[in-house]
Amino acid sequence: MKFNLLGHDKSCPYNGRGMTCLPVGKVHHARYLLLLVFCFNFGGMSASAQSTVNLDTFKNIPILDEGRVKPLDTYAQNLLLRFSGRRSFDRKPAIEWLARLLLDSDSVRDDKIFMINSLDIPMALKIEPAKKRRYSYAQIEPEFVKIIQLAEVAETIAEKERSIVEQEVLRLYYNMMQYAKLTQALSFARPHDDFHVHDAALRKKIHLPAEQTKFSFWDIVTRSEHLYALTEKLEDTTPEFWSEGDKALMGLVSNLYQWSLLYHKIPFAVVPTDIAEDETWLSPWDILRENFHNEIIRKEIGLLHTIAVGYRTKDQKMFDAAAKAFTDSLAGRVIKKQRKNIEKIPLELQYNKRHFFLWAKLLYGLAFFLFLFSFFKSTPILRAASLWIIGVGFASQLTGVIMRCIIMSRPPVTNLYETFVFVGLICVLLGVIVELVNKRWLGIMVASLLGLLFLMISAKFSAEGDTMRMMVAVLDSNFWLATHVVTITIGYAGCSVAGLIGHMYLIQRMMPSCNAQTLQSTYRNLLGTLIFGLATTFLGTFLGGIWADQSWGRFWGWDPKENGALLIVLWCSIILHAKVGRLIGQKGVAIFSALGLIVVMWAWFGVNLLNVGLHSYGFTSGIATGLIVYVIAEIIFLTFSGFYLRKKT
Amino acid sequence: MKQLRKNRILKSLSSIKITVICLSLLFILTLWGTIDQVNNGLYLAQERFFNSLIFLIGGYVPFPGARLVLWVLFINLVSASITRLVYRWRQAGIILIHSGLLLFFVAAFVTFHGTEESQLTLSEGEGRNVSANYNQWELSVWEIKKSNKNVFAYPTKNFSVGDRVEFTPHDFSVRIDAYYPNSEAFLAGEGQTSVLVNPSNIQVVKPIPVDKEPERNVPGGIFSVYGTDQKDLRILLYGGENVPAIITKNNKTYAMQLRHKRHVLPFILKLKDFRMEVHPNTEMARSYESLVEVISNDTSREVLISMNEPLRYKDFTFYQASYAMDQFGRELSTLAVVKNSGRLLPYVASLATFAGLLLHLILMAFGGKKR
Repeated sequence: MKFNLLGHDKSCPYNGRGMTCLPVGKVHHARYLLLLVFCFNFGGMSASAQSTVNLDTFKNIPILDEGRVKPLDTYAQNLLLRFSGRRSFDRKPAIEWLARLLLDSDSVRDDKIFMINSLDIPMALKIEPAKKRRYSYAQIEPEFVKIIQLAEVAETIAEKERSIVEQEVLRLYYNMMQYAKLTQALSFARPHDDFHVHDAALRKKIHLPAEQTKFSFWDIVTRSEHLYALTEKLEDTTPEFWSEGDKALMGLVSNLYQWSLLYHKIPFAVVPTDIAEDETWLSPWDILRENFHNEIIRKEIGLLHTIAVGYRTKDQKMFDAAAKAFTDSLAGRVIKKQRKNIEKIPLELQYNKRHFFLWAKLLYGLAFFLFLFSFFKSTPILRAASLWIIGVGFASQLTGVIMRCIIMSRPPVTNLYETFVFVGLICVLLGVIVELVNKRWLGIMVASLLGLLFLMISAKFSAEGDTMRMMVAVLDSNFWLATHVVTITIGYAGCSVAGLIGHMYLIQRMMPSCNAQTLQSTYRNLLGTLIFGLATTFLGTFLGGIWADQSWGRFWGWDPKENGALLIVLWCSIILHAKVGRLIGQKGVAIFSALGLIVVMWAWFGVNLLNVGLHSYGFTSGIATGLIVYVIAEIIFLTFSGFYLRKKT
Repeated sequence: MKQLRKNRILKSLSSIKITVICLSLLFILTLWGTIDQVNNGLYLAQERFFNSLIFLIGGYVPFPGARLVLWVLFINLVSASITRLVYRWRQAGIILIHSGLLLFFVAAFVTFHGTEESQLTLSEGEGRNVSANYNQWELSVWEIKKSNKNVFAYPTKNFSVGDRVEFTPHDFSVRIDAYYPNSEAFLAGEGQTSVLVNPSNIQVVKPIPVDKEPERNVPGGIFSVYGTDQKDLRILLYGGENVPAIITKNNKTYAMQLRHKRHVLPFILKLKDFRMEVHPNTEMARSYESLVEVISNDTSREVLISMNEPLRYKDFTFYQASYAMDQFGRELSTLAVVKNSGRLLPYVASLATFAGLLLHLILMAFGGKKR
């Protein structure tokens, strides 16, 4: 029992443990929670062996998280991603880890799942720094008080002013708090010392199984009628006249009452409330307190209890039946919109399982490899094969995108992550079209390289958590998301393809074996994609203007994102006018189109980095560095090729 | 027309070099203006880079503002459409693009000079027919009497020290002794004699730098009033005050105030209900809605204004802009009010330009094959 660490409250006569109501949220309340976790977590069941229960029905269970009804499978992945930076643990799916966290919390204590990105923190906590930067709950727990102290300080600092260490302290603190709360999410189903009934007679009186002595909160609370009948008789007497059996009975009732007050706002909303048209869901503990009178809800909690028992006793049939019945029961009573979400869960599980984007990435990589190989030996069969490989990759990526659209009931682009996936998709499509026209490997190079690159960047972005998030009110318009956002991202794709072809043109021209026909064909494709990019960016920009006019009353407001799109339009127009006025030749068009890639990056996500201060951390600053390195490399390349080609001609 | 096409001045004005230089300048201004917003905010950056004809770098080196560049580009485009553009079917795309762009210039001109933006904040149950500009101020005077009030107001935008403004119908005039677009006010110290007339006993206004959020500026000024009962009347007005200063003349009482510029609406808007929804189990807003009643002459109707669903009535458009809760727990809804006469112009212009781009792309692909 580790609660001595924090001292304990002697006000509770029956078990001597602090049973204050659980405050939530603020850091300074954490001490109380910690106390409770220590009180109740580890006196219970012994650590069972590895999970052998198949979790297929369990991962189907819906949960309301970040405003969206999603399967536990997705929830588990995002949770683990937030804690550890990975979507799986020990090469096993996240759902296995989540099941252990919820149903067998002792077994996860030594799992190294807390990622700490700063060496200062393990040092401050006097923990041996781990090579993989990941630590277990058991390792950190003895120093939790220190973390609370540090987090209390960090919380007083304004968000933008926080240093990396302070950010990491807070992140660790919130993650540990969530971990601690989640271990209690289904603790009502866990046999505990507080519900030990040694007295066989008492067990019989309240209809508990005779062969068992230790019970769970749920076992007892579902016998409250019998308990009530028994305690009623004791109401008129004073404790000195109570028998040992009476005292045990009153102890049980008291513990029941105290437990019922313990857990508030556990972040595990799996049960919808019984209020009509209310979209809120609550955790089992919260719903027990609010809606215990409702028979259906009681039955649902009972099913959760059965799931826990099935898991503990490794009774697959019992486990599956309860999980399925629970999901069905929810689907039967939620509002229509949420029911539709529940119906889409099997689709989301497929999406999680099939890894469409990973397959697409691998296929694009293979096609790019074949493109490189074509320098040594190029045959029509090889080219056709590469094109087919890209086609299959495209189909896989497209399937993933379509599934996301169906799951979210949204057009394909709603956040920055999705722009990378979608722009990649369009680049591949444009590349294939270019290849069909050009027939000289150019399109294969464009499709495979850009498809691969953008999917790799998107994978980095997805490390930030759920990629299917809710939208803020002002953006919540499927019509404009489908028109403006989609066209503008197609514009990004067009300009990116033009930029890459610009590079290719320069490289082809620098080659000793420069073929004039190939060069002309590349140049024509460059102009075509450039005008395509200009047209779609223009359309996207002005659809954006119309959206702004519709929702804010102004067509144009010089805001950074609008300006970014305008920059692309201006850049393309400068190139085209300079070409018409013969201020630049083919080489110039190629160089400026290549530079246009930088303009596209700026408009696309450079603008988002503007708000990033010096203290930024993680991916955003990573991408800023990447962008700067890229810009420098690009300028060096273009200057070099410019001078080289001048000499050559 | 043929003679015009050969006109030398027009020819040199239509030079494509001018086009490229102007587009490049516009590119630089747009990029610079975007980066500048990080430190100076949208409004100031907009004024400096985009709404100005010319601005100074570091206080000395002049640089053309976007407005000037756009004027030059407009002249360039007009001249080019006379002298350079080839009016043949093959060039139909190019011609359409450029006529769309010409229309854009017209649209930009009309919107820039013809749009009035203001705000209307209503609590539930409240109705008004006056909206307030959020960053422009006015010096207003009205007679205090029981019936309707007639307000005379001068916008403070171009106030400079020594200017005189006449309130002709009341037959008195005001001279501006001091005016600061953003200021701090100080009450009279103890024992200090009040020299300046002020309803809240403010005796000093001091200028402070203009804020990057224009709505945070609070102006202040000192005004000498001539032609009233009192001689040598000097009034201090501060934008943060709710009470006007009082002037008397010929047994009539007048109020004088420095306040947000008002716009009168030809109808009354009454807020009946405000609703905000959040995504379940989060604090993230999913929607804001204001149910309003539009009262005009003898008729009235109810309209629901929500995000992306504004109310359009007469020349005005009302958008859900923000909301707040006052100290009594009443919900306040702020609607942005825009009066814009040339709303449809950019729509037509974009459509023409895009159609042109598309046509050109098709013609280019077609012509490419022929070659």
